[in-house]
Amino acid sequence: MAVYKRGYQRYAGRLTGRWTRFMVLPRYAWSRLYQQRLVLLLTMAAFIWPILCAGFVYLSNHVELLPGLDREFLDFIQVNGTFFAIFMYIQGACAVFLAALAGPGLLAPDLANNALPLYFSRPLTRWSYALARLTVLVGMLSVVTWIPGLLLFGLQVGLAGGWWLLANWTLGAGMVVGFLLWVLVLSLVAMASSAYVKWRVVAGAVSLAFFFILAGVSAMIDEVFRVTWGHILDPAWAVNRVWAALLSVEPLEGPGAWESLFALTAYVLLLVLVIERKLRPVEVVR
Amino acid sequence: MNDIPVVELENLKVTLGRREILHGITCRLGVSGTGKAVGLLGPNGAGKSTLILTLLGFLRPSAGRAHILGMDCRRNMGEARSRIGYMPENDSFVGEMSAVTFVRQMAELSGLPPKAALEKAHEVLFHVGLGEARYRELRTYSYGMKQMAKLAQAIVHGPELVVLDEPTNGLDPAARRRMLKIIVDMKEEQGMNVLVCSHLLRDIEQVCDEAVILKDGALVHHCNLEEERRSNRHFVELEVTGDDRSLKTALPEIGAEGVSEGAGRWRIVLPAGVEVEAVWGLAARQNLLVRKLTHRRDTLEEIFLKAMGHLSHTPGESGLAAPKPEGAKAG
Repeated sequence: MAVYKRGYQRYAGRLTGRWTRFMVLPRYAWSRLYQQRLVLLLTMAAFIWPILCAGFVYLSNHVELLPGLDREFLDFIQVNGTFFAIFMYIQGACAVFLAALAGPGLLAPDLANNALPLYFSRPLTRWSYALARLTVLVGMLSVVTWIPGLLLFGLQVGLAGGWWLLANWTLGAGMVVGFLLWVLVLSLVAMASSAYVKWRVVAGAVSLAFFFILAGVSAMIDEVFRVTWGHILDPAWAVNRVWAALLSVEPLEGPGAWESLFALTAYVLLLVLVIERKLRPVEVVR
Repeated sequence: MNDIPVVELENLKVTLGRREILHGITCRLGVSGTGKAVGLLGPNGAGKSTLILTLLGFLRPSAGRAHILGMDCRRNMGEARSRIGYMPENDSFVGEMSAVTFVRQMAELSGLPPKAALEKAHEVLFHVGLGEARYRELRTYSYGMKQMAKLAQAIVHGPELVVLDEPTNGLDPAARRRMLKIIVDMKEEQGMNVLVCSHLLRDIEQVCDEAVILKDGALVHHCNLEEERRSNRHFVELEVTGDDRSLKTALPEIGAEGVSEGAGRWRIVLPAGVEVEAVWGLAARQNLLVRKLTHRRDTLEEIFLKAMGHLSHTPGESGLAAPKPEGAKAG
């Protein structure tokens, strides 16, 4: 029967489970996200560097294709910690822009249109809502960070063989852990800025400014006080320091990996606090 | 019959900041599964919305307990929310979605499988009169359409209880009639319990079977409108010129009661079987010139004004079949 002839009847069928319900928000959000051309374009652009890196991995394992090159260059084209660190710096930067572009669109419209009471009047807690939104960003950023990284790692293992894996498995694990840490920071920054600003474009700008301003502040502290610990305030620097430790590459000058990890944890907690404060079904004016 | 109350409050106190908004409300409203509507009345700032937000688990009681459909609003809200539909007072929607996607998403969040959610979304949007506009983005909707979309999302999953906060706010007369008709259908045809919060007495009187009146965060009256309607008493507003001091003692001659509001204005309640012509006759016998005589049955207004303290006494109060709530202040 046509729907307009049917008339409304209360639903009395089976209900879905808790996890199926949890994935409703990410499912709808992903379909909305990838309908945006800019997001789609930036995501596609973020694959250029992994493709180039894949070419590099292939060449480094087929040096016979590069006859007549000097020894120094052949030493340079090694797939090692430095290679993965460079890969991560560039993909990490792409992820910053992608998070700033797509992140605010997830939360800001819900807050601007007062949609939270509708969500929270259903079997969905504030934490599960925030976690569902976080899942969207983590999923989207994973597509351009650790997933292509892991594919590159797999390609290298496939070309270099099992012995290379045994000797370098820490690189793969370090890359995944390092990227996940960065993805978490980026997602929380995007969510917190959109929870605070509510206007999507401004929220995107705020989440970019968060990184640039903190980088500027940290550089200023270092210059004024002639110290190096100011770097710790710059989340991008701190995460690079952690990556360097995870990939066993030469560390940057400044605070150590543990201090950087501590600073990042502090940022994460601060951002969670902002989100917790703002994601409420009703705003109580005290 | 299952006699679990729709809402049960025990000395409920809610404090926002340092201000206590609800001051120890105790009452039992409605019976779950009976398809009845309960009205929550009160002037602005009385605490109606605070009570609703507390019942939905959005605000924490500072003392006392609140149960909705027999479930504690603090501990069992997860389960309770799957059985409740909520239509907030203010604009609430996801702007960049079409109505059908929005309602479908809300249905899925309430636990409907995707296919059933899509079917129900179409069905409910036709039901509320948005069938032709269901593929339009919600941000392009007029205010009245947004109200209907909010109602659609509140009932798409077929909840046992629908909580409506000022559902007719900002609606034109036709849309208001439609909204009220849908509410009546919800309870009578679908057997849903409805909790309507409004400051519009006529809306409450039209759709509700029971009403509670809040004032300054306290429950001041609880009445059974169904019994009020059955009592079939007639109210008359009378305006006369002349010496009307003896009218009060003369009214019982025709079996009526009344109160003077000063300047020749009277509110009179006629018992069943007494026609309005009797008032004309009485006025003539008292040598009073009738300037205005309005015949109406707006009993809730009387009750409301009395609860608010604007009337010292409601005509025919002795005949009222209103249950007095526990903890309710004397009106």
